[in-house]
Amino acid sequence: MNWLTAKRRKYGSSAEVAIRNRWAYPGDFLGLVITYGLFVFVFSRIWIAAYSGRAEIVGYDRSMATWYFIVAELVVFSSGNHFWSFAREIRDGQVAYSLGRPYGFLAYQYAQKMGLALTQWVPFAAIGGLIGTAMAGPLRFSAAQLPVFVLSFLLAASLQYLIQACLAMTAFWLEENSAFYWIYSKISLVLGTLMPLEFLPLPLMRATLFTPFPYVTYVPARIAVAWEPGRAWALVGGQVAWTVAVGLLAAAIFSRGVRKTTIHGG
Amino acid sequence: MTVIRTRNLAKSFSVRVGTRGAFSLRSLLRPEIRLVEAVKGIDLTVEEGESVAFLGPNGAGKSTTIKMMTGILYPSSGTIDVLGFDPQRDRKRLGFLIGSVFGQKSQLWYHLPPRDSFRLLGAIYEIEPRELAKRTGELVERFGLADLMDIPVRKLSLGQRIRCEIAASLLHRPRLLFLDEPTIGLDVVVKQEIRALLDEWNREGKVTIFLTSHDVGDVEKLCRRAILIHHGTILLDESVKSLKRRAGQRKIVGVRYESPTAIDIPGLEAEKRTPDAAKFFVDSGAGDLQNLIRRLVNLGPVADLTVEDEPLENLIADLYRTGSKEEADELVNR
Repeated sequence: MNWLTAKRRKYGSSAEVAIRNRWAYPGDFLGLVITYGLFVFVFSRIWIAAYSGRAEIVGYDRSMATWYFIVAELVVFSSGNHFWSFAREIRDGQVAYSLGRPYGFLAYQYAQKMGLALTQWVPFAAIGGLIGTAMAGPLRFSAAQLPVFVLSFLLAASLQYLIQACLAMTAFWLEENSAFYWIYSKISLVLGTLMPLEFLPLPLMRATLFTPFPYVTYVPARIAVAWEPGRAWALVGGQVAWTVAVGLLAAAIFSRGVRKTTIHGG
Repeated sequence: MTVIRTRNLAKSFSVRVGTRGAFSLRSLLRPEIRLVEAVKGIDLTVEEGESVAFLGPNGAGKSTTIKMMTGILYPSSGTIDVLGFDPQRDRKRLGFLIGSVFGQKSQLWYHLPPRDSFRLLGAIYEIEPRELAKRTGELVERFGLADLMDIPVRKLSLGQRIRCEIAASLLHRPRLLFLDEPTIGLDVVVKQEIRALLDEWNREGKVTIFLTSHDVGDVEKLCRRAILIHHGTILLDESVKSLKRRAGQRKIVGVRYESPTAIDIPGLEAEKRTPDAAKFFVDSGAGDLQNLIRRLVNLGPVADLTVEDEPLENLIADLYRTGSKEEADELVNR
């Protein structure tokens, strides 16, 4: 078996098994889908109130703002929240049992999370699409947007995984690290998830583009609702740069942190 | 061939010591750190084909040692060589040659049938699909898993799951198998089955076994050598056969009389006593055993008299209570 085939089988199988494990109990997933639907419904109502008497705000009409939120939250919900389980595994030493196997630990985890993201988006998109269409009319989406949007979605899910992994890996040094994730999730909610970056004061918007936060939700949501090819590719370029940078950071943290692995009760 | 060699292997952990009071500025600014030496300079060598029991009370340092040997934990000092590799530096390459079963940690996916986990492990260990099918078939037959392979793991009994775990750990044909409490929580019949399977695999020369267990049955039935570690240092390293022989030098003599009897043997205290029965520990040498039996019989009409070897478990428990190599040597040579 050549090197590439071996790696493809190794990480492809780990993604496949994670998907099968997730869908063994589809009912477990229902709660998340309902939560997402509720968020979308509430925000659609908020935008109706915010837009009363206005046709648009900084270039976004009500339909665009509603669909922006639906797509931004689609990325958040589909790529999942694995900070807690990742950090817990490190804290209680369970991560150690994975280390004795011949795979790259971060790559193995990444394959599983991406496998899940690639299937989980379907029920979220279905419920979000239904509520969005009912509350704000259909999403205006052209065929030209699709490949860029898909690429942007994959990069967003990757960046989301890597940022959460970096935060979770602080558990190698700290007993309590949940504050980091709390701060991250709140900042990213404000900087690109609840509303487009253009809604922020201009200096803040410009500064935000130098941080990784908007590259998780703002970029795919912006590409979906406000298609400008040149700007879209520039934003995707930013996503690539941040994904590489955070990926290198995650690898560095892991290689240092793994030396700090302790096994409680061992 | 030597499969494990450690020299002066040590591991210490820094533990933050808690201070009294909900808020302590001192503990925040200058926390008190205590150094715990889990393993203190272990030297050991294991040859290919051996089956070694690595014993010790809770907190003795055995799991820490195993996890350093598998590359999971980094030693504070000393060296380890496992199958020619440095486990920390070459963890992934070594992963292809070693297997591990941790009784309290499953490697099978809980909601999926074992077949899916076997397929994933095959991919992880880069086994060609055709070869994987062949090996899976062999293990399924040998471990009697045919009826279990398509049932979700959560629906298997503990014994069935452990059989699948051990078979899964052998899928990539490891040369060295680390077993950490493999029979924990299993009933007697399943324990015997698991031990027989592992023993067979070891005797056929397919794998070297390095086992930790608190179950003396695992040690007696599966291992030919025992290493005892306590307070992070090796107290004893000898064959299980010789340990059993040493344990057998002490006899347990039980006596039950037909009616209540004053069971007083001058110079020997009974370990257990009821109005009509008693149990004594006595050395088998120097005529002590003969003397005791004669004196017991002379006390009154005997309904039952038994003479048993002291269980290996007792000797191991006594060894756990010792604090140094000298005391352990003294105990086994008493």
